[in-house]
Amino acid sequence: MEYLSGQHVRSAFIAIAIAVSPAAQPIIFADGWECPAELSDTFSNAAATGRFLTQASFGPTPDDLATLPGTSSSAWFRSQLDASPSLTLPQVLSFRATLDQEADFVVLLELADHFAFWRNAFTADDQLRQRMAYALSQILVVSDAGGEVLSDIGESMAAWQDVLITHALGNYRDLLSDVTRSPAMGFYLTYMGNQRGDSVTGRLPDENYARELLQLFTIGLVQLNADGTVVRDSSGTPLETYTNADITGLARVFTGLDLDIGQGVDTAPDFTFREMSDAWSRPMQQIADRHSLLPKQFLGQEIPAGTSLNDSIEQALDIIFAHPNVGPFIGRQLIQRLVSSHPEPAYVGRVTAAFDAGSYRLPDGSTVGTGRRGDLAATVAAVLFDIDARTPSPGDGALSGKPREPVLRFTAWGRAFAVRNVRPEYVPMLWNMSEDGQLAQFPYRARSVFNFYRPGYVAPSTESGAAGLTVPEFQLATSTTVPGYANFMRRIVRVEKPEGEIEDLRFTFAAAGLSFDQGVYASSFIPDYAPLLALAGDGNALVDELARRLSAGRVSTPTRQTIVDALAVLDEDENERVIMAIWLFLTSPDFLVQR
Amino acid sequence: MTLNRRSFLKRAGAAGLYPALAPVAGFSQHATMGTTDYRALVCVFLFGGLDNHDLILPSDSAGYDQLVSARRSLLQLYGDRRARSALLELSPENGADFAARRFALPPEMPSVQALFNGGRLAVLGNVGPLIEVVDRRAFLSDAARLPPKLFSHNDQQSIWQSNSPEGATLGWGGLFTDLAAAGVASASRPFTAMTTAGNTTFLTGVATTPFAVGAGGASTIDYLDGLDMTDPLAPILRAHFRQSFGARPDLLERDVAGLMGRAFDANARYNGIYAQAPMLSTEFPLTGLGSQLRTVAEAIGLRDALGTARQVFFVGMSGFDTHSNQADALPALLAEIDDGLAAFSAAMQELGTDRQVTLFTASDFGRGLAANGDGTDHGWGGHQLVLGGDVLGGRLYGQFPETRFGHDHDAGQGRLIPAVSVDQYAEVLGRWFGLRRSELETVFPNLAGFPSDASLQFLSSSTSGSQARA
Repeated sequence: MEYLSGQHVRSAFIAIAIAVSPAAQPIIFADGWECPAELSDTFSNAAATGRFLTQASFGPTPDDLATLPGTSSSAWFRSQLDASPSLTLPQVLSFRATLDQEADFVVLLELADHFAFWRNAFTADDQLRQRMAYALSQILVVSDAGGEVLSDIGESMAAWQDVLITHALGNYRDLLSDVTRSPAMGFYLTYMGNQRGDSVTGRLPDENYARELLQLFTIGLVQLNADGTVVRDSSGTPLETYTNADITGLARVFTGLDLDIGQGVDTAPDFTFREMSDAWSRPMQQIADRHSLLPKQFLGQEIPAGTSLNDSIEQALDIIFAHPNVGPFIGRQLIQRLVSSHPEPAYVGRVTAAFDAGSYRLPDGSTVGTGRRGDLAATVAAVLFDIDARTPSPGDGALSGKPREPVLRFTAWGRAFAVRNVRPEYVPMLWNMSEDGQLAQFPYRARSVFNFYRPGYVAPSTESGAAGLTVPEFQLATSTTVPGYANFMRRIVRVEKPEGEIEDLRFTFAAAGLSFDQGVYASSFIPDYAPLLALAGDGNALVDELARRLSAGRVSTPTRQTIVDALAVLDEDENERVIMAIWLFLTSPDFLVQR
Repeated sequence: MTLNRRSFLKRAGAAGLYPALAPVAGFSQHATMGTTDYRALVCVFLFGGLDNHDLILPSDSAGYDQLVSARRSLLQLYGDRRARSALLELSPENGADFAARRFALPPEMPSVQALFNGGRLAVLGNVGPLIEVVDRRAFLSDAARLPPKLFSHNDQQSIWQSNSPEGATLGWGGLFTDLAAAGVASASRPFTAMTTAGNTTFLTGVATTPFAVGAGGASTIDYLDGLDMTDPLAPILRAHFRQSFGARPDLLERDVAGLMGRAFDANARYNGIYAQAPMLSTEFPLTGLGSQLRTVAEAIGLRDALGTARQVFFVGMSGFDTHSNQADALPALLAEIDDGLAAFSAAMQELGTDRQVTLFTASDFGRGLAANGDGTDHGWGGHQLVLGGDVLGGRLYGQFPETRFGHDHDAGQGRLIPAVSVDQYAEVLGRWFGLRRSELETVFPNLAGFPSDASLQFLSSSTSGSQARA
């Protein structure tokens, strides 16, 4: 491809966009938000398909690229809404049934929730739902990085994943109800076992969940316009959404919830490990006499004295959810997770409109969404079908595109090469990728409730940072993780198995009472490079095929030349040539940025 | 069953938190500091929660009897290694402050004893995260504001490192570096915050990210590193990983290329300097801590070539979560600390940087006085060691509650309610590093509630330094 001048940024993009789409203004309909009229509903070719599925799934597969071009993108979207949810807890429980039923703290069972995640990411048919659930897991963060219960009891995090998967294309308000009652969230944000205040002892309710619910899960710290820009007073100071008094008032709501076993989590020693594990996969119970019956004042409203726990939760969530910030606050983050690190305000505004209307008209004229505010099917449709998402914007990442986060680079590789026989229990590499020498990221294992990176992160010493653009994924890029990713992906691409791994696995399987099948071990999680081996002698053809599978057909001259040059000095071993080409592509800016 | 009774270091490492951008606009711009003014802080983080009751032991007969009475079952498992006669007596200059009480180290720590009695090492007693002053009565009645998630590993590690009651802020080592690096050339900037224990919140500032080094130097592209220099593939790969091509039209791709190139160059620059470094004659023990401290000492030896006048280092050591098997496991860890610190002290004297480098320990929390059979459970306050030529050593700072239950700093089961906040501990280190109290109050929002305490000034120049800058 031809390089434009280094100065080419927004203005050039706008010029191109206008030239390509003279009528780029979308039209508002009474029942929702219209997609730009000039956008074709048809996946025009493999590149357009690959680009869309990079945003809407864990990555396009060769099968997708072969079958979807020429078909309707709206039809694909609707079929995804209809696909039955691939839940994780049933996978964990059926795996559990194969293990030694007497053993506590079985490593393989502790990790079974992650196994289910990988199976879903690589092979589930409900890709849009799974990708949305993963996006939501980075807004509503629960992590097992701290060890303890959430890592020891795989069922706890599986049930948590299922809350997100179940509501991923449902309604955000309903999601909040289940999130609030989730034992994983209750434990993570310390309101499990939380008790009403006591004026005699001075005890106050734990404020942790009340604070994060407002700050991170719904409205954020400052008032937002519908397009996500900050509301300021006459002196330019951002207007805050709440004060500490609101937190204190709201904290009274989240008293009386506890693990659904006996009289709560503190009675755990009286129960077996299995009974405990099952309790962690049920919503928390309500213990009425621990709930505060004082009036609960926050956000300018009051839940009257004497209101029960259940009613208090629902009323509180209604009050919070009614705040106009929810649409732009959540909508902008969903755009960041799927499409663009720093969306234009108008794009955020269009997504907010779909969130608020609860419906969206797809390119083929059909409407998705229930019409109820907070509809996530309508919201994600608005994210994906927006002109800023759909218009290819060569030469401008600031307006469209994002760095791929490490987990999504990894899944894109696996799906692009149709990785077979995904049996994560046989693949220890899939058990943790959090370390710097690995991906430095692992699903459901963020370092804190503040996720792997902040939505507002502006990277120091970068051009995007100098322009004030938010690029969350850059928060993971350090002088260690950058080479660490390259080293790790070389081992991945080569399917290297560490020395001694099989002996360790045999031991781990034995401890779980599971028989070890060496044949499954040898064939698990193997990519299919066969179609590429045929191209190993033709550098340019190989690059074209890699671009088709991995970067929606885009590849820069330097990356193409690097791969061609590298192949020119390698010997004839086809497998090594293909591995080198894949590795160089996966470590090129062409792949590392999703556009 | 008790779920908390396990070692969760299977995924350990510094638990980190990335919060909203901290306000740093109020920080003064520090003038460029010449290398004659070199200063470094070395944080040795003891992951898992070091048992304070097994680090500083009572050695007067009444105190020792209290300890035995509280921990008889556990002490029996130690055999004679915790016999009163085996303990290594400390001779604090301020021993009179403690009347008839005497203190000792376990027998695994002869070097720490020598460093202490020689005036190079101090002990700060009962330090831990606090939002405000708390005593037993306030704690038991929930009448005080407490740091969140007490007794939880990752949270307390984070709070130690980031010092936010919200559990989520930038690390104070990184914020110190933000201030100190204002005058450092950009090529040297990565070397102002270095870790031998992976990415860490402690060293994450607004403009600072930790630069990781190991025994062999900084990270490399392993495959490229393994190629023969004459291999024609080498320059192709080097150009790829440096992204030394013309500017790309896409902003994000340009930034990605820039991040790749800067990482490659910083790592290569460090490794190039490191390869030419003279060998230290000080021998370091062949342990995890010894290896890390040697790496730190080598980097300090390269300070002129690296071009930094201020550095903060992070070193980590795991295994302190001694819920069980403590009598077997902990002595070896204490011995590792002992010979590691001894070698580091010797290396600093060899380099002539003894007064320019201060090493300090930190840990998730202390542990309860009560034994749970063969181990101990999570506590809160603990005791920390501070080592260096500027340390007013041979003294006991802070508080050393009696080894019994029910005193006014007992949170239950002999878990200590801290008498000294982490903020106060860090304040002394920060003042010595060259920061003002006002700047430190920006880094530590709760510090304002803890007036400067002259009795905690364990570094010789921290007071004079602040006067000079006032």
